[in-house]
Amino acid sequence: MTLRRKPAAIGRWKSAALLLALSTAVAGAALAGPGAGVGQASSHREAPLIASDPQVDNTDLYAFSSPDKSDTVTLVANWYPFQEPNGGPNFYPFATDAHYDINIDSQGTGKPDLTYRWTFRNEDRRDDKTFLYNNGVVNNLTDPTLLFRQHYTLQEIRAGHRPVTLVEDAIAAPSNVGKASMPDYGRLRSQATRQLPGGGRTVASQAADPFFLDLRIFDLLYGGNLSETGHNTLNGYNVNTVAIQVPKSALAYRGNAGRNPVIGVWSSTERRTMRLSPGKSTATGPYVQVSRLGNPLVNEAIVPAGLKNAFNALPPSADHDQPKLVAKVLDPEVPKLIQSIYGIPAPATPRKDLQEIFLTGIAKAAGGPLAVDLNSQLLNKDIDKRRFVPAEELRLNMSTPVTASPNRLGVLSGDFQGFPNGRRLGDDVVDIAIQVLEGATPGHLVQALAAGDGVNGPGRPFTGGFPYIALPFTNAVNQAG
Amino acid sequence: MPVRTCRPYGHPAPTTFEPEDTTSMRRLALIVTAAALCAGLTGFAVLEHTADPPGPPAPLAAPGSGDSGSGARGGARTIDAVVAELQAGLRRQPVDAPGWAQLGSAYVEQARLAVDPTLYPKSESALRRSLALQPQHNTAALTGMAGLANARHRFAQARTWADKAVADDPYAWQPYGALNDALTQLGDDRAAQDAVQHMLDLHPSTESFTRASYTLELHGRTTEAAQALQRALDDASSPADVAFCQHYLGELAFNTGHPQQALDHYRRALAADPTYTASLAGSARAEAALGRTDRAVTDYRTAIARVPQPQYVLEYGELLQSLGRVGEARTEYGVLQAEQKLFAANGVVDDLNLGQYQADHGDPKLAVTLLTAEWNRRHSVLVADALGWALHRAGRDAEALPLARQADRLGWRDALLRYHRGVIEQSLGDTASARTDLAGALAANPYFSPLRAPDARTRLARLQGQR
Repeated sequence: MTLRRKPAAIGRWKSAALLLALSTAVAGAALAGPGAGVGQASSHREAPLIASDPQVDNTDLYAFSSPDKSDTVTLVANWYPFQEPNGGPNFYPFATDAHYDINIDSQGTGKPDLTYRWTFRNEDRRDDKTFLYNNGVVNNLTDPTLLFRQHYTLQEIRAGHRPVTLVEDAIAAPSNVGKASMPDYGRLRSQATRQLPGGGRTVASQAADPFFLDLRIFDLLYGGNLSETGHNTLNGYNVNTVAIQVPKSALAYRGNAGRNPVIGVWSSTERRTMRLSPGKSTATGPYVQVSRLGNPLVNEAIVPAGLKNAFNALPPSADHDQPKLVAKVLDPEVPKLIQSIYGIPAPATPRKDLQEIFLTGIAKAAGGPLAVDLNSQLLNKDIDKRRFVPAEELRLNMSTPVTASPNRLGVLSGDFQGFPNGRRLGDDVVDIAIQVLEGATPGHLVQALAAGDGVNGPGRPFTGGFPYIALPFTNAVNQAG
Repeated sequence: MPVRTCRPYGHPAPTTFEPEDTTSMRRLALIVTAAALCAGLTGFAVLEHTADPPGPPAPLAAPGSGDSGSGARGGARTIDAVVAELQAGLRRQPVDAPGWAQLGSAYVEQARLAVDPTLYPKSESALRRSLALQPQHNTAALTGMAGLANARHRFAQARTWADKAVADDPYAWQPYGALNDALTQLGDDRAAQDAVQHMLDLHPSTESFTRASYTLELHGRTTEAAQALQRALDDASSPADVAFCQHYLGELAFNTGHPQQALDHYRRALAADPTYTASLAGSARAEAALGRTDRAVTDYRTAIARVPQPQYVLEYGELLQSLGRVGEARTEYGVLQAEQKLFAANGVVDDLNLGQYQADHGDPKLAVTLLTAEWNRRHSVLVADALGWALHRAGRDAEALPLARQADRLGWRDALLRYHRGVIEQSLGDTASARTDLAGALAANPYFSPLRAPDARTRLARLQGQR
């Protein structure tokens, strides 16, 4: 069988996996669309129905103090999941009508103080003469053998300032065609990495998907008897990634990472729409947000089905005005499911601890049960705390020292530099999230689920320097036969 | 339930085939066998589509590695793969309301691509099961019901379901697509445009851009329609969606009189998805326009063997008729009539297609009856045109003309529409208008039909002789 082992990539694939079991905590109904007209092509137009939108499907976001350059923070965002290596001939381009954004909220208002925005354009030299991506070995990004390139521009957009172009029309590292065509992909990625004015660097590239989990966790939680674990379902697949490393001062409120060390981060994708109004000769319109991602697994495991569209369309500043969303954080469904299957009692509600982790950040001043000062913008000394609102963001305290020996369970194991204080590539967010939803606290795991999904790291190791993510896989995951 | 049509394998329904036409017999046997699968569908029975022997006509095949020019494969599955995944998940977890909703909608999509109406009852079973499991706030199932109703041409029902879905989740964009489809077919142009604009504003994507394109095309804005399709193509991720966009770029090219450009688009569609049979039939139509009739006949036959879509059967019959192969043409019309019965048995209300067929090749009075019924249900420009034409064929030209004018109310630049109007005007003795419209039809697309385009030329020559 070919292609059959892949989990259904309908909308966000992780959502798809979840909805196999979490019948009440399901993903946006990507399949639910209009279709019309079997056998009636002459009488009306039938339109495509399956809303698989992988180019703008934002799967993961990471924010961490750079382990080898501790005065900087690295932000990584991934799109376009489940890329099968050898996926030619067109491979996996970024969308050219989209904004790929990483947003920073340093004041806790739920609004971006800073946005890094990548936009792409195609350089297609194939015409209609060939379908091939390359017609010879590609040793350099500028080799004429590379027939299809994507160029990107990176802008820095600060509230109240004109956008600044940090990188103009750089070439992105292409999809990895294979060893014969691209014998040294690492070289291509190095060439695609650009220095930023004022320090820092960025790259847009294909990469091995750094996320790791056993999707069977969501099949009645490991097949209903905790026995079927340990297979990294993502191993071998690639994603598109943008990464940026900048000085902490670039991110901190008023440029002062000492007094204002906490940032909230989320990524979002906007796509340009069109206007039907008569008389227009160009079919364009404003950009519309189509996906959004802060903390891992929140969209999948906490936001209920009926709110997912709203969640993806709205900015974090609107979260506290969505009472149903807040209610689901306070009373999540996953622990109830685990209780129904395994008899492990769900923690008492309302879950003020989850509100702190996902919506306010952890700080004594947040008024929650986690009486620790960890990663809320309320810890920033110079902000106007009256403007603070609960908002779903991935929060990082940039002053937490980089540890020499990171623990995959992060804060739960006493490693305060890991998730939910930011997110490092190696943080085992599935195991952490299940534990957190079950009420675990640092040093006190829920033992019945302590083994987690049995997948404790990625299929391909991370690298020691920027952008840390591994080079893309080149062997097909699903071999014929 | 369409139980009445279900017959054991090898015992096709009585048809009007000529005895020597064994190919068509076998083809219909396959369809009818597929219909047999629809009997007694409840619960898990709706999961058995791919497992039941002897199976329906081969649906969309999953492309193997390296066999196609798909725009992108990662993250985008074939509909068959999606259905298989959902079925597997629902076997393990049968109380998954969203899963049943998605399966119900996936069957409609599968039916669209495979032209297999027996999937509709399965779709309905799955959607109703979803609604039973989750009666409140089940936007996905409500939207699925709207899509299913559209597919069955129950457009008023579709609008009602879509309205419910919109009310359920104002941020969901999919219901606006179903709503747009229904309103367009109901002839509520203003509301249809609002729905598609709303969809575009919530979620610009292949699904919304393709709908925008159709709206623009119906308003005669073909250049902008092509731009919208190009944007849909840029965002398309599955081979089937790439093929859909290329196909309709081809349709736009053909309908504006550019068969060679059309052929190029159809071939790109087939390169993206070799199973996209609509483009094979499109190629046949373009080849016929370019004078390559042998190739056209071959391609039509291949297309129909794969997917016996009534439209292809009709086009093929008309091509054969235009080539003087009247007996073969009649055989195809017989296949068409049998198919219409099968569609009707699976809940598809299609008085429009049936009426169009009867007007041209059967009983014009029956056509008027069918199309009057359709007109009473909905006032789309397509129905206006078809009813006007049927009235003309039944000799009622005075009643026909106002409908032919109704058909022009959006400004759609369609050669056949204009030809119909011209012929009606000619019958009423308005030779000046007839000349203008027949010339306009040929100017819009000189290849618009192998039977009507030559007729338009003949009429025009005669009218110009009368000057």
